[in-house]
Amino acid sequence: MQFKTLDPLLHSQLRLAIMSLLISVESAEFVYIKEQTAATAGNLSVQLDKLSTAGYIKVTKAFEGKKPKTTCKITAKGVNAFETYVKDLQQYLKP
Amino acid sequence: MNKFKNMEEKELSPQESLDLIQSMIGRARQRFTDNSFYFLLWGWVVMLASVTHYVVVEYTNFDRPYIGWALTVPAFVVSMIYGARQGKKEGVRNYTDGIYAWMWFMLGISMFTMVFYGEKLGWQIVPLTMLMGGVGTVVSGAMLKFRALQIGGAAFWLLSILAFEVGEGMQMLLMAVAVLIGYLIPGYLMKSKAKQDAVQNA
Repeated sequence: MQFKTLDPLLHSQLRLAIMSLLISVESAEFVYIKEQTAATAGNLSVQLDKLSTAGYIKVTKAFEGKKPKTTCKITAKGVNAFETYVKDLQQYLKP
Repeated sequence: MNKFKNMEEKELSPQESLDLIQSMIGRARQRFTDNSFYFLLWGWVVMLASVTHYVVVEYTNFDRPYIGWALTVPAFVVSMIYGARQGKKEGVRNYTDGIYAWMWFMLGISMFTMVFYGEKLGWQIVPLTMLMGGVGTVVSGAMLKFRALQIGGAAFWLLSILAFEVGEGMQMLLMAVAVLIGYLIPGYLMKSKAKQDAVQNA
């Protein structure tokens, strides 16, 4: 049996962490994701951009007073991709 | 936490992927929501209003024993403002947060509506409010996975049955008991649990 290739967008530590976090909540702010993943702001921004470009997450930027506020939300496409990734993962783990 | 620091460089094995997913999902789930503010606020407001009502009805000739209930209007406004602020502060929104807020908002509006139509309801507002409060409290307990609230909600329901059988003054005392068991005790338990969790996670 041929193993399916794992989605390269998800098969990366930080992006997978972000997606796993977002799949369990309705929405999360940049600061919260940064706290939970302990990633640097720069690296997190880059990875969020990649996920957003792929349509896996929706990033909303707003201002609260003078502070910028970035809110992230997983999309239906992102949920599908995540589920497919987990399913594909299982074939590697089966004995 | 440190293992997440050099995320990009490392090639993930399937088992590592799975572990990562599990730990992140668990992290989002572990968050214990401290909603004690609302239960304590409403617990004390209703306690004060119902005890005042009881004392005035039983021991004075004052013709507006319900005066203390006016406090519920500012309490409603305070709850809304606090809720909006808290939502902004948290940085994360769970699926249950919205459901929770809407449920209590609608229950609150419905309770005020019942007071407005009190005469048509034969002024059985206390037991009816207790029934509605019981629904909200039991469901909140289930959502927050907090057993004390579920017990408190059940107490609301049981006491409402008693309340249907007694007069105005006694109804107020039952209401006071109901908020003690249903709001105040679970509220303080929730607050102390949140404090403990904060210490553990620090």
